[in-house]
Amino acid sequence: MTKTILTFRSFVRHIVWLVAWLLVIVAVASVPAYFILDAFGINLLTLISMVLANPQVLPNFMISLTQTQPTESLFLFTTFPGFTFAALFSSILMIWVERKFVAKIQLRVGPQYAGKYGGILQNFADLFKLLFKEIIIPDKADKKVFIAVPLALMFVAGSLLALVPAAPDFYIANPSVGVIFVFALIGLSPIIALLAGWASNSKYSFLGGLRALHQMVAYEIPMILSVLGVVVLSGSLSLVSIVEAQSGIWFILLQPIGAIVFFVALLAELERIPFDLPEADSELVAGWQTEYSGMTFGIFTLATYIKFYALSGVFTVFFLGGWFGPSPVPPEVWFVLKTFLVMLVMMLPRAVMPRVRIDTLLRGGWTKLMVLTFVNLFLALLIVSLGLYHAGGL
Amino acid sequence: MVDLTDIVFVGMSVVVVGGAISALEAREIVYGAIGLAFSFFGVAGLFFLLDAPFVAVFQITVYVGAVAVLILFTVMLVREGRWMRDSLSSTGRLVGVLTAVVLAVSLALAFAASSLLKTAEQATAPSFTGIGQYIAVQYAPALELLGLVLAAAILGAMMLAKVERKDKP
Repeated sequence: MTKTILTFRSFVRHIVWLVAWLLVIVAVASVPAYFILDAFGINLLTLISMVLANPQVLPNFMISLTQTQPTESLFLFTTFPGFTFAALFSSILMIWVERKFVAKIQLRVGPQYAGKYGGILQNFADLFKLLFKEIIIPDKADKKVFIAVPLALMFVAGSLLALVPAAPDFYIANPSVGVIFVFALIGLSPIIALLAGWASNSKYSFLGGLRALHQMVAYEIPMILSVLGVVVLSGSLSLVSIVEAQSGIWFILLQPIGAIVFFVALLAELERIPFDLPEADSELVAGWQTEYSGMTFGIFTLATYIKFYALSGVFTVFFLGGWFGPSPVPPEVWFVLKTFLVMLVMMLPRAVMPRVRIDTLLRGGWTKLMVLTFVNLFLALLIVSLGLYHAGGL
Repeated sequence: MVDLTDIVFVGMSVVVVGGAISALEAREIVYGAIGLAFSFFGVAGLFFLLDAPFVAVFQITVYVGAVAVLILFTVMLVREGRWMRDSLSSTGRLVGVLTAVVLAVSLALAFAASSLLKTAEQATAPSFTGIGQYIAVQYAPALELLGLVLAAAILGAMMLAKVERKDKP
């Protein structure tokens, strides 16, 4: 796309625009480059100053760059608890499992033809179909926001993934305020749904966005309050310490009400059936994702399933003892198994339940779940104040 | 030698100031709300830089997750084409710039006169448990007063909503 420069004014504007973009790109690219090189043991700033002082250093640097090994942190970010595993596990495996599982419950067959066993390659077929489809941006849509929304959803999903510890050493970040961090990231999703609905400039999208906003705001507060019991029992806001506090007994046994409330709120947050009002396909086509086509829709699906995996992992961390399990099986496998189980249980309602009405949904969130969380918090305080439980065992 | 902290600080400041400017200057009012959310994000980043993750995370939870959502929602409900179609008059613009300059200079002078610039020594980063103990023990009366204020605000909102509903036939 080239713009013709006709006047001096447009020439100046062109130059200013170029410089502004250059500054933005340099600012955005230099910081990650610094950290990535830092992970390999190379400090970019000292390197630049060395090269400027003595140009002969550069060939030596080239040689040393070929000899470095990928470090553990890079592996964590990209491979195991990080993005690749989550994307493959949640979107490739779990979508197939979901389709097959729901089909079996409903006495259907499910995907069947692609691949040798049970249509296991069906997702790859769908992926390639999406990759080759045209990305249609509606004429009256707000293009910038329209394109930015799938990326923002991906950002939220990936950031959630970084907070979930998969094993004693397998976590990307362990901030001291991890629990609040999780809720801060969850709190960003209503903005994304609302902006997607607004930017599409379609009535289905906008209605879906408003529904998503109402639902997520109504269920966010019970969700935060239901975890307070876990925080009281473990005495920490860090996810790793919460798992370590469950070495004796899992919190689902001490906090059954909290676990149920958190589970229901998760279902609502992930817009899964019976709480799929924002994307009710019989009324709103696909809710706030209606106008997205091709790979933008693919990114939505991928981000939704990564979020699904990450939040199931958060449930495992809070209530199912994270990586703890009988010893011959390694802790990473225990974590993935438990997360898989949570995801399966979350898929169950999809097979058997109808959609709830919006007033039932909102009343349930604001009144019933809220009361249950206060009962749960009272029980947790009772357990601690009677001296029945200290972090790490009974 | 430029420290990495300085680079991140400058980047975050650009985000904060740029977000604030776009929040005020955007023609499309939804863009203004998005700019405000970005500005809040930048402030959270500055808090991270200052070793205060607790405040930073609450900045994101409360300001981006609640206040920005509220503003976006309100803005979308009253969406009526493009707002602010007519630009300001030149006198209005002049008065605005003068007010901003006077305010900025006086704030800078106030900061220069205060002792804020001298507290550069290394302090231990406060943990959230320490903050919680302060709030629950030393500042408990203030906490309870805040709770009362919030309860009064909620009751007032409910009263307003109820009166509005009665007016309708």
